[in-house]
Amino acid sequence: MGEIIRETISAGDMDPTFIEKIEKAGADRIRTCLSCGTCSSVCPSGRRTAFRTRELIRKALLGLREDVLSSPDLWLCATCLTCLERCPRQIKITDAIIIMRNMAVKEGFMLPQHRKSAQKLLQTGHAVPLDDANRDMRRELGIPEIPPTVHSSEEALAQVKEIMRLTGFDTLVEGEGTGAKQE
Amino acid sequence: MLERRVGVFLCHCGSNIAGVVDIPRLMDTIKKIDGVVHVEDYKYVCSRPGQQIIHDAVKDKRLDRIVIGSCSPRMHEVTFRQTMRDSGLNPFLLEIANLREQCSWIHSNDPKAATEKAIDLVRMAVARAKLLEALDEPVFEVKKATLIIGGGIAGISAALDLANAGFKVYLVEKEPSIGGKMSRWDKTFPTLDCASCILTPRMAEVGSHPNIEMLTLSQVEKVEGFVGNFEVTVRQKPRYVDVKKCTSCDDCTKVCPVDVPAEFDANLAYRRAIHIPFAQAVPSAYVLDMKNCLGVDTIRCGKCKEKCEPGAINYDDHERILKLQTGTIIVATGFEIFDATKKEEYGYGEFPNVVNLAEVERMLSAGGPTQGHVVRPSDLKEPRRIVYIQCVGSRDERTNRYCSRVCCMTAIKQARMLRDKTGAEIFLFYIDLRTFGKGYEEFYESTAAAGVTFIRGRVGEILQDDTTMNLTVRGEDTLLGKPMQLDDVDLVVLSTGVVPPASAKDVARILNLSQSPDGFLLEAHPKLRPVDSFNDGIFVAGMAQGPKDIPDTVAQAKAAASGAMALMGKGRITVEPYYSVVDEDRCSGCRLCVSLCPYNAITIEKNGRAHVNPAVCKGCGTCSSACAASAITSQHYTDGQIAAMVEEYLSAR
Repeated sequence: MGEIIRETISAGDMDPTFIEKIEKAGADRIRTCLSCGTCSSVCPSGRRTAFRTRELIRKALLGLREDVLSSPDLWLCATCLTCLERCPRQIKITDAIIIMRNMAVKEGFMLPQHRKSAQKLLQTGHAVPLDDANRDMRRELGIPEIPPTVHSSEEALAQVKEIMRLTGFDTLVEGEGTGAKQE
Repeated sequence: MLERRVGVFLCHCGSNIAGVVDIPRLMDTIKKIDGVVHVEDYKYVCSRPGQQIIHDAVKDKRLDRIVIGSCSPRMHEVTFRQTMRDSGLNPFLLEIANLREQCSWIHSNDPKAATEKAIDLVRMAVARAKLLEALDEPVFEVKKATLIIGGGIAGISAALDLANAGFKVYLVEKEPSIGGKMSRWDKTFPTLDCASCILTPRMAEVGSHPNIEMLTLSQVEKVEGFVGNFEVTVRQKPRYVDVKKCTSCDDCTKVCPVDVPAEFDANLAYRRAIHIPFAQAVPSAYVLDMKNCLGVDTIRCGKCKEKCEPGAINYDDHERILKLQTGTIIVATGFEIFDATKKEEYGYGEFPNVVNLAEVERMLSAGGPTQGHVVRPSDLKEPRRIVYIQCVGSRDERTNRYCSRVCCMTAIKQARMLRDKTGAEIFLFYIDLRTFGKGYEEFYESTAAAGVTFIRGRVGEILQDDTTMNLTVRGEDTLLGKPMQLDDVDLVVLSTGVVPPASAKDVARILNLSQSPDGFLLEAHPKLRPVDSFNDGIFVAGMAQGPKDIPDTVAQAKAAASGAMALMGKGRITVEPYYSVVDEDRCSGCRLCVSLCPYNAITIEKNGRAHVNPAVCKGCGTCSSACAASAITSQHYTDGQIAAMVEEYLSAR
């Protein structure tokens, strides 16, 4: 992840098609960004983490594609939408982040935690599958130990897996993209 | 076919036309047209020798219609009409074929097609020229009086220029005193001149000028007529105090038992029901606010009248309707401050220590509610840590998209004064600082040197500690890329932008003016006619047209005054004869044209027939196209002339 971080930005680092793709995918006003910092200043995540909304959008605007997609910061947004509400240019910042996340995953950049829960979904049909603690709690509450979801139906699970195969979700999370090696 | 002797003159415009259009081929084709007795080309027909060619040809060939193939008539129609007059022809017997803007410039990549198009354009022009009629330009008298709406610095400046030039001025102001927003401001940037010190002498001059009639507490209700001859209806509210008798002794306010928030002091202080807005008010007279008065009879109150020695107070005063006749109108209706309660994240109206620029101006003023001391409204203590937030309500998709232009410098000026006066710690958050005027950048520089901290970033939210009433400000220093949180802030000043006054819509409707998308009044051309409106004889000046500072406002006021003088100085105006005329024998008096005319130029006369006022009519042709009886002709654009052009274009060469 570290190799593209350098002191000087050169023309070759900037990919003008990157911002076009984000625009076309729905963040249409992104080019009007003033870089005023309102988004960063109201970000509840940014107060606790290294997440800098404005910086991310600025990098996207310049087309620093790899820098943005490989950054673990991309995943620190909680999609609370406060930035969009306060943005003086009314840019769909959260939409842009989600679009960039989709692009990142497609290129194999994915946090190990996310990959793990995605794989769980693939195996069990649930991102958070049933564990012993859950079973105990359900027993105490007097409801069936195994809920009437894919957990109790082999057939339904097979269907969920088929959906994931057809949508390409399975190759996405199992795939060995450029970023996957860096996990 | 009418026997006409048409002369055609083709301009090369250097290489602008001749570089694309094949001039020899064009000439050969034109020569063959029936009625064309002379064809000539020249490098620049608009030049002196070029005009001489036309002049000579008219004499030698006894030409009676002229066609010129050149640039757009918008450029040189005026020039060539004068050539017509000089050659002894009526100027309306001229037709210009636009071979540049509408041909060579846009078809430069296809010279062959451009040449064909040029041939068609000239053929059509010849066809129309044969049917052109000699027209007279009607002349109207212009009344040497101006109505100025709005008594702020714009209205005052324009009024004095006009009055000093010898014209009568009616200055209409809705408040009890002239002076506008400038009278509420403390100092002006970048020189730190005291606003009253430079404004009040001008106000006094207006008050005593023999050519200026000041109408305060007044609003324009209706404007009829046209350039040179406007008829204006003004509604004047009662003051209940005789301006001539009032000596401004202040005895009345001492006995008045009513306290209400003082608008002039941004509601930071109280005034009485009978009051004078501010010490230097013009007219220097008190006004009774009847809405808040306890009662004018001796049982309920009536104390002020009892106390008034000169007997200036008249409880029976009443509203007046005034009719004015003027030749020109200047609209200088100013602006309002953006209502910051619309930006909820800043807590204005909820947190007492969040204030706007106008409130700080009043506090800075020695004549204001705090005698020049800026304080925290919650406990009246002197603030030690102050935060300014720029672009509140401006450059914002959710409020106003435009830049308000004055807030950067106003905030820098206030920050500078507060820093110099109290040594307080001052942080100014900005997106971009716009210090574009003469001496402004230098002022910004010296303010930074004085110790005001400028932070590049916009504040996202403000929180309040409900016990101390201190504020927490959250922003980002975008130059460092780090979120910033300032705690224990004593005072936050919102750099509120400017908005068109609520009355802008009414003014636009009454005067038939247009508004730009931002709500301000629209000028006729942003560069070449910046203070003209689309209505002849009506000018717009100052903030009414858009955000601007005092120097720009005064410059516009002077420009508007000079525009008005140019019309009135001559005393009469010539109107282009492109108006519609009604054939009374055909008119049935159905009134369809009256209801359709966008300029209200048509009336039904006593004989039941429609009549078009030539001075108001713009020649748009709506009436002539709608008239079921074909009784209306648009002069210079008759059906016959247009049909001849279409016919020529569609017929074989």
